[in-house]
Amino acid sequence: MNAEMLLVLTLALPLVTLAGCLSRQFRRHVAVLLVVAPLPALATACLLADGSTVVLPPALLGLTLVLDRPGAMLLGAAALLWITAGAYAGRRFRGNPDGARFAVWWLMTLTGNLGAFLAADMVGFYLFFTLASLAAYGLVVFDGSPEAKRAAAIYVGLAVFGEALLLMAFVLMATATPDSSLLIGDAVASFATSPWRDYAMAFLILAFGLKIGLFPFHVWMPLTYSAAPIPAAAVLSGSAVKVGVIGLIRFLPFEIPMHNWGEVLVIAGLFSTFYGVAIGITQANPKTVLAYSSVSQMGLLAAVLGMGLSAGEKSAALVAAFSATFHVLVKGGLFLAIGVATPTKRGVWLVFVPAVVLALGLGGLPLTGGALAKLASKPFMGQGIVGVLATLSAIGSTLLMLHFLRRMWSSTTQSEARASLLPWLATALAAIVLPWILYSVVRDEPLRDATLPKEIWEALWPVLLGSLASLALWRWGRLLPRLPAGDVIAADKGLVRLADASGAAMEKIDRYLREWPVATALLVGLATLLSVSASLGR
Amino acid sequence: MVPDAIVLSDATTADGYLLVLAIIFPVIGILLTLAFGGRYVERIALVLLLAGLVVAIAIFAAVLRDDQSLVYIVGNWKPPLGIALRADGVSAAMMLTIAVIICAIGLYARGEFGQSQATVPTRASYAFWVLLLAIWSGLNAMAVGADLFNLYVALELLTFAAVPLVCLKGYEETIKAALRYMLFALLGSVLYLLGIALIYGAYGTLDIALLSDRVRPEPIAWIAAALMTAGLLAKTALFPLHLWLPPAHAGAPPPGSAVLSALVVKGSFILIVRLWFDAMPGLLSFAAAQLLAALGAGAILFGSVLALRQARLKLLIAYSTIAQIGYLFFIFPLASGDSASTPWSSIAWTGGWLQLFSHAFAKAAMFMAAGLIAEAVGHDQIADLRGIGRALPVTIFAFGLAGLSLMGVPPSGGFVAKWMLLSATVMEGQWWWAVVMLVGGLLAGGYVFMVLGKALSSTTPPVLRVSIPRHSEVLVLAVALCAVLLGLVPLQPSEFLTIGRPDIHTTALQ
Amino acid sequence: MTSGVLLGYCGAVLVGLGLFGLVTNPEILRKILAFNVLGNGVFLLFGVIARRGAAAGLGADPVPQALVITGIVVAFSATAMAVGLLVRLNKVSGQTIMTSDDPTNSGK
Repeated sequence: MNAEMLLVLTLALPLVTLAGCLSRQFRRHVAVLLVVAPLPALATACLLADGSTVVLPPALLGLTLVLDRPGAMLLGAAALLWITAGAYAGRRFRGNPDGARFAVWWLMTLTGNLGAFLAADMVGFYLFFTLASLAAYGLVVFDGSPEAKRAAAIYVGLAVFGEALLLMAFVLMATATPDSSLLIGDAVASFATSPWRDYAMAFLILAFGLKIGLFPFHVWMPLTYSAAPIPAAAVLSGSAVKVGVIGLIRFLPFEIPMHNWGEVLVIAGLFSTFYGVAIGITQANPKTVLAYSSVSQMGLLAAVLGMGLSAGEKSAALVAAFSATFHVLVKGGLFLAIGVATPTKRGVWLVFVPAVVLALGLGGLPLTGGALAKLASKPFMGQGIVGVLATLSAIGSTLLMLHFLRRMWSSTTQSEARASLLPWLATALAAIVLPWILYSVVRDEPLRDATLPKEIWEALWPVLLGSLASLALWRWGRLLPRLPAGDVIAADKGLVRLADASGAAMEKIDRYLREWPVATALLVGLATLLSVSASLGR
Repeated sequence: MVPDAIVLSDATTADGYLLVLAIIFPVIGILLTLAFGGRYVERIALVLLLAGLVVAIAIFAAVLRDDQSLVYIVGNWKPPLGIALRADGVSAAMMLTIAVIICAIGLYARGEFGQSQATVPTRASYAFWVLLLAIWSGLNAMAVGADLFNLYVALELLTFAAVPLVCLKGYEETIKAALRYMLFALLGSVLYLLGIALIYGAYGTLDIALLSDRVRPEPIAWIAAALMTAGLLAKTALFPLHLWLPPAHAGAPPPGSAVLSALVVKGSFILIVRLWFDAMPGLLSFAAAQLLAALGAGAILFGSVLALRQARLKLLIAYSTIAQIGYLFFIFPLASGDSASTPWSSIAWTGGWLQLFSHAFAKAAMFMAAGLIAEAVGHDQIADLRGIGRALPVTIFAFGLAGLSLMGVPPSGGFVAKWMLLSATVMEGQWWWAVVMLVGGLLAGGYVFMVLGKALSSTTPPVLRVSIPRHSEVLVLAVALCAVLLGLVPLQPSEFLTIGRPDIHTTALQ
Repeated sequence: MTSGVLLGYCGAVLVGLGLFGLVTNPEILRKILAFNVLGNGVFLLFGVIARRGAAAGLGADPVPQALVITGIVVAFSATAMAVGLLVRLNKVSGQTIMTSDDPTNSGK
């Protein structure tokens, strides 16, 4: 099986499985299907060489798929998460007739997710981006509860808004390329000479910032991840969000250092980092805490990319991808952990202890992937204020994750019957081991450097400080205000009223316009107006 | 710079007779129906629908193969005394779209208006088939007409066939809606006729090709063009002249709504484009183009917001039609701008036409789906459609696909059209239309998800009054898939749509 | 003032009256009549144009005359259909006035 076939199969198998859901026979084996569908993606990520390309025939839109290093890392981690979460979901929905409906949305989101990591032309990227965003609606609203409906409505509203911005950015970029090429590489290169460069950058950063949850567009994350079923929340927070990350990696013009936009990204990112922690520690639902942790971590990622963009360093993209890869597995795994956590002795050893390791890894616990990621990004963050803030963010992350662990411990009623431990353990293992395997791809330094005592101390002291802060939180946490999940969006009642009022006003205007005398008078008036405007000449 | 006049073909081209067949076949059908009494009306209609589809495909193939328009000089009397029929690339594509949709609607209508055996049909059934054939004839005549008065006759044929379709069910509200449509459309026709009078008085000819040579930017031309455009806008139901559309399209029987929304309102639009780009090139001032597009923008915003506020599914779809018609009018400022050497080599030309074709398929699919839903549960209140996705999965899937085309989500014709129009706004520097288009897409997403959300909610499905045959659902899906298939069109200005236009070979396409 | 100009003015007045009637009269039958007046005004204009375009030897340009004949047929059929709809409306609901519609009620 050559490279091209494997690339095509990565997307074809989920689609074929999706079509298979039409048949009753298939539907009975949903559990197996969910696990099998991402397998070619895993094979692609592990086996194919960097730069493998395939161009689909025009009947399939002529899309170009390419595997580059950041894409491969994210694809592999995502495939792993989708497989383990799929096993979890299969077990959860075994015998449940709703399982087929869940599988349809699941497979659509999967296809969009994987496709986005592979797309090399703008139409293809937009197609998969939209597919992943819109299909996730079905996953979020699956429960049918009022909270789920509200979360899904806000999510899809913001997603469609982001897609509109992204479309405009792509059109601006495509128009600037000399031969209207739709390839991403050509479009990014056109930034050097494009007259619409700043507009395109603004739209890109807004659109992808919305996808990864930069303040103030983070409001959908807490609502969505709390409302979705556990396996869905795992893949959405772990993998679907990384479509925004790969977008930033692919579309930001690292070769053309853009200082202004880089600064914008850094400021927005760092603000989100601390904002996520600040709001997260006031939350009680462990899923919501994890959502705010995502806001925080994605903010840090954006800051790394921003620093890379300012300095014109392409390797920042690879480091960001590495960071994101770790986050995929950790975040997805922690969501699965919520589902299997029980206060029994088995639960403590098999769930809580690995969860502690994973969670603190986000804070940069030495010898975890998080520490490796922070080590790799240190040259970009520099020694100035950005570097200091980045180091301080580790304290915040630790604080937040310890808060999460405490909330997970006290809400073990959220764990689900018949949930198997195996998916969780597999994810946790991958999260611990994979960063070490990939580190040599990202950095030229030998692996040993990461285990030097100096580095270990650099990583350890923020974690210690964070633990101390968390003790303080434990003691005085009750004094913190109880903010609703989604914080800013709680103002949506006012927005809804405003929208309703303006809609009612337009309805009144329409009713007036549809009166016969008004419409016919307008017709005559329009004829006059048209003749006058035609006379005005070019 | 006044663009070159259309080159007049002196003679009937080899396959020109196909144009006559396209107009005559439906008329033959009606005559046969009268001859045989009503007993075979459905069969005759279906046979002729098939024949008409073959003719449309043949015309399309002929234009594609010859790379020039088909011309037929009626009675061998050349203009200005005689009339010519001309099918350029746009006409051929239009006729193919019309043929496919009408055939699909014909097959779909067998459910509601079909006859079992050769029994005497109900008055509504008989009227439906005859009217469908008449509408088809009118649409084909609009597509190939090359003479302004000929087009007037075709326009009237279209209106007279469309109005009874609205009140086929016979309720009081539908008759009122039909009367409102009729009188407003007649007002439009008379204004159009007045414009024709002024043009004939000033230039002595009504043939489009000859006119393009003789028209000068002077007051009489402006007034005539304005009167004709206003009249046609009344028939196209562009905001704020949309008063008749919602009750008419919502009150008609489902196959009727489909043909009205998808095709009939587009007939007068084709005429507006022919008027400004073919008959009177160079007359379209910047102000006039912006005015037309501004009305289009108003249509998009008002139509979409009002669609969001509807409680009935068919009214939602009708208001969505009002909104989507607005997109078509962006062709005026964007194709007549400076970035392309001729209007038809600009990407906005392809984008505008593609928007028309994909909306036709998508809207037809939507109304057909709404018809199946209404038949199945006995009403079309959106709030009570909870869970219908479980009962009619194929129908809701087709509705979703059509909705995706309206939103402009890939892969669909709507997305390609939107991309092209957005590119045109960037190239022309008229970014404000881009804002309107993006907002329109958002609002379309709003009302599509409103319906889909209800349909796919997880509660138990409603009890179906009538079981819907699987082939009807598949037919709706096929029409929706046509809208998706249009998404395979490459993102370049289309060469086919410039066939038959001047200077296509000497001007480099962008 | 030649007869052509006078008739032209008459045509314009008819058009104006017809438009006014069509826009303002709430009764449907009057709207139909106003449409007929409007149409007749346009036909009168056509007649004036025919006279003006008369070539040597002919009384009038034949083309506008053909247009008028077609127009009369179209107007006649339009009136017939509109009156038919009005009669039906009256039979079904007893109404003869065009009211503003409440679309939430239209049909089923």
